[in-house]
Amino acid sequence: MLTKFYLKTKKFPNKCKIFISEAPKNRYLLGKNHFMTNLENQIFSSYQRNPELYDEIYDQKGDIKEVYQKLFELYGEHSIEDYVNLNAKAKSSFFNQGITFQVYGDNDSKEKIFPFDLFPRIIAPEEWDIIERGAIQRSKALNLFLWDVYHEKKIIRQGVVPMDLIGSSVNYLDKMNGVDPTGGIYNHISGTDVIKHNDGKYYVLEDNIRCPSGVSYVICNRTALKRALFGVFNHYQTHTVTNYAENLLELLESVKPKGVDVPTCVVITPGMYNSAFYEHSYLAKTMGVELVEGRDLFVENDFVYMKTIRGPEKVDVIYRRIDDLFIDPLEFRPDSTLGVPGLFAAYKKGNVTLANAPGTGVADDKAVYTYMPEIIKYYLDEEPILNNVYTYHCSRPDELKYVLEHIPELVIKPVDEAGGYGISIGNRLTKQEVERVKIEVEANPRKYVAQPIMSLSVHPTYIDESESFEQRHVDLRTFTVMGKDKEFVLKGGLTRVALQKGNLIVNSSQGGGSKDTWVLKK
Amino acid sequence: MGRYIERSEHIARYLSVNYFSSLDAPNEISQSRQFVLQSMLFMVGSPVDDKTHKLQEETILYKIGLDPAYDFSIINNVKHARENANSARDLISTELYEAINKFYHFTLNYPKEVFVKNGLYDFTTNVTEMTAVLRGKIRGTLLHDAVYAIIMLGMNIERATQIIRIINAKYHDALKAQGSYGDKFSKSFEWTTLLKCAESYDMMRRLYKKTPTSISTLEFLILNPNCPRSIMNCLNQVYNHIKILHPSNRYDNQSTAFLIGKVRAEYEYKLVEEIEGNIQIFIEDILHNLTQISLKIEKEFFSF
Amino acid sequence: MALEYSINYVANNRYENPVKEAHWQFTIIPEANSSQEQITVSFQNSLHIPHDISINGYGFQTLRVSARQPLSEVVFEASFKLMKKEVNPFDFQPEGNIEQTYKKMGGLDFKIDFEPFLRCTRLTNLPMEYGDIFRFDFSKAVFDNLIDLNKWTYEHLYFKTNVTNVDTTLKEIIEKRHGVCQDFTHLFCTLARANGVPARYVSGYLHQGNGYFGDSQMHAWAETYIPNIGWVGFDPTNNLLANTNHIKVAHGKDYNDCSPLKGVVYTVGTNETSHTVKVKGEQQ
Repeated sequence: MLTKFYLKTKKFPNKCKIFISEAPKNRYLLGKNHFMTNLENQIFSSYQRNPELYDEIYDQKGDIKEVYQKLFELYGEHSIEDYVNLNAKAKSSFFNQGITFQVYGDNDSKEKIFPFDLFPRIIAPEEWDIIERGAIQRSKALNLFLWDVYHEKKIIRQGVVPMDLIGSSVNYLDKMNGVDPTGGIYNHISGTDVIKHNDGKYYVLEDNIRCPSGVSYVICNRTALKRALFGVFNHYQTHTVTNYAENLLELLESVKPKGVDVPTCVVITPGMYNSAFYEHSYLAKTMGVELVEGRDLFVENDFVYMKTIRGPEKVDVIYRRIDDLFIDPLEFRPDSTLGVPGLFAAYKKGNVTLANAPGTGVADDKAVYTYMPEIIKYYLDEEPILNNVYTYHCSRPDELKYVLEHIPELVIKPVDEAGGYGISIGNRLTKQEVERVKIEVEANPRKYVAQPIMSLSVHPTYIDESESFEQRHVDLRTFTVMGKDKEFVLKGGLTRVALQKGNLIVNSSQGGGSKDTWVLKK
Repeated sequence: MGRYIERSEHIARYLSVNYFSSLDAPNEISQSRQFVLQSMLFMVGSPVDDKTHKLQEETILYKIGLDPAYDFSIINNVKHARENANSARDLISTELYEAINKFYHFTLNYPKEVFVKNGLYDFTTNVTEMTAVLRGKIRGTLLHDAVYAIIMLGMNIERATQIIRIINAKYHDALKAQGSYGDKFSKSFEWTTLLKCAESYDMMRRLYKKTPTSISTLEFLILNPNCPRSIMNCLNQVYNHIKILHPSNRYDNQSTAFLIGKVRAEYEYKLVEEIEGNIQIFIEDILHNLTQISLKIEKEFFSF
Repeated sequence: MALEYSINYVANNRYENPVKEAHWQFTIIPEANSSQEQITVSFQNSLHIPHDISINGYGFQTLRVSARQPLSEVVFEASFKLMKKEVNPFDFQPEGNIEQTYKKMGGLDFKIDFEPFLRCTRLTNLPMEYGDIFRFDFSKAVFDNLIDLNKWTYEHLYFKTNVTNVDTTLKEIIEKRHGVCQDFTHLFCTLARANGVPARYVSGYLHQGNGYFGDSQMHAWAETYIPNIGWVGFDPTNNLLANTNHIKVAHGKDYNDCSPLKGVVYTVGTNETSHTVKVKGEQQ
């Protein structure tokens, strides 16, 4: 079947985060911590804590948070050698689970694992409650927003958001105008990226509602940690993360096309060379459904079929991990070999469900993010549960005035540039540069937005090179699944760690790792 | 996947058995290091034409065992098996997948200096043991449906192919080694080695209770359906598995199932005496038939 | 009075190297609308592959053929019969108050309703330096301005085949001043949109009994939306208003939305496609 093996370097499924704060200048010892005295020569003894940063394991008084205390004690009992051993064990578990990526050298390629940290992040039930309700609220609001922009467009008519959000968005698909997705759901699967700022509050950085990935790492992180440190779990009541696939399947089945009794679901992947292929196959396997590529499907009379050695089998629900423009070469990019010719026509006719719906991407544009508080209010008549990073629109005169006066405290971003181009970080600019930015923003106010500089919280993280724990910045990606009249948030999530000291970029291509994330039961 | 697993096992065992049995072989030729190395190369499909060329033991062991640049090396077979498992990851069980991965990382990380100096036994034993684990995982953790049938199909075709290749190699060795101590071809020491390479020596002793000869060995390894390594047994299994993939009873003389049935029927009632006279032709015949079967399977089941 | 049309469409595709798998989608069936009534649709191909009739992303009927056997040449032939009502392009109520019409066109609701047809696409992107190439006279009615634009386009370009293709930019068309009906239509649409009038690209057939430009291929013209009147067809290639001779198939933002043939072919090397279209009309 497949002969050539070649894996591209896997990228972590996320765009860069550019939220930079000063690299900590002063380092302080643990200080007044009462564990300190017992921990001479143990792994935490050299943990240096910068009080300017929000450390996830300490409370405001500087004591270890209650939820972390037991863990801190248990880990504190280990010597550094123990820890090195455990670390090696966890690593081999990743190799055996096959969660690896390829790194190409001069002569040969090497297989590597994503850096994984044995010290889990713990989220207390009451904190999790906020995240979970907030994630659901956002997903629901975005879903209503999508319905609206592909139907009456009331929110634009009433002037709540500008027309540019659809008119100038490359992700807005005309062809979806007037299409009613089954169950009224567009964003079946959403990934919400959340950080904790140094004010101790959670902020959403981004809503990923195209094909958010990373959920398989959540589950594999848990497996690896269990294998290495099963004893620790005895002391905590942690929610499971392995129920993701069953919930996903149940919700996918809930949006089956009309007239189908027992739907056949499949996962469609761009193929084994895709960086997230592991996840695609993982999800298909754990849901117990077929993993297919475009060439395994075909369309006849506007129904979709899967080729099997026993002949064609009708497909009803497709969890697609292919971008909009590649799903059907007859309707979108004609050079796409990943899609299925005729798929979109079958979808429009209601004979097959696609999750997420085509055109969903319009709602995770950067510009839409800045209007999220308004969007939530407009559709749900609720206050946002999770904070948005406040966005100043330079097109509004009073906000422009504030921006011009506070450039050193802000991040200035062009509205339409993707991938981090043209971003100015206020506290990194020289005086002259600040003036230059001022002139540029004043000349083209419509082109710019500004946000306060966020400081991601830090978490003790084991660092191989120094064989000790150090503070590293973390964020959290949560996963929400919505079906007909039901939604599910995975209790846990992907905590990503910026492994370089002082770095705030949690992207794995930039040296990011991850942690198991425990949500405690009430 | 099944094919590559099976192939790595046979190559590993061939290396190990030949190397170690040659150390105290009864005649000089069989004991000669050059002879053994040549035999190894012959078996993996790179026979040495120039007999005067002196082979370096370490080079040859490295080449067949761990050389990523040599297509038929064990490491490449394991790589292919893993790659295959990667592409079919959704179809196979987590347990099987993890076992394959473990196998892969074991071969990949095996230090090459150790292997060529004193790790041959350790490495090959591990390879054969890990393949046994894999076989257990295949049987015990996969649904016995089409996917299982495809894996088993590949495994049995490959086993038949490897057994016949080993027979071929040892047949050549037996021809070369005869005469030195007055042994006849038919009573050559190489037949014992052959049986050991196929892990069938003990079974053979139980059945025949005599020193293996050319006739009894060939009969046992080719025609006896009760020997789990025999060609006949493989063909029977291949036939059973193709029936799962292609259950139709409709007469279709173009189908793979028909071809397998035809080949199977031919060997089922073959007498070893019919083979003995022209072993070489017979071996080539079997290899040809097996290739035809593989091609046909590929065409019928993998080209859509 | 009505005309009965029979339309014959033939496409011949030849491939340099054998094709393993191919999918074709034709958007060539005359639309059923208030002035057009489908009588028969028939479609065959030289390989006798069955076809599907489906609806594309913009809601127009398509014919879809998927070949899963190797091939190197294929001929498609479609024939349609339809009734076309007599169309008098000047048969409408006047626009009413001119000022109010323009005001309405400037409103948010109007812009939202017609957003796709006011949008600038890759093929209808007016270069900055030509921003003022055609400006409406806002003291005149929208319809009259469009008549002027139609004439202007007709005079600005001259009809010439094989000098432009589907990827030619508008800039080049404006500067070289030549092209075929697609190019005339793209220019017309672009300038109508630049002046705030929703305009859509129409593909269809032209009955050539009267010596119009448009050769024996499919034709293209434009429809623009005028408040209180509705969509009105303009044929800038012939400086005409769309009439009984114009048989509409589909519309979209530009050519890409309604190209008659879309294909996905798995092969290497070049291919040759030739189309012929014959339109016969008979007075009923």
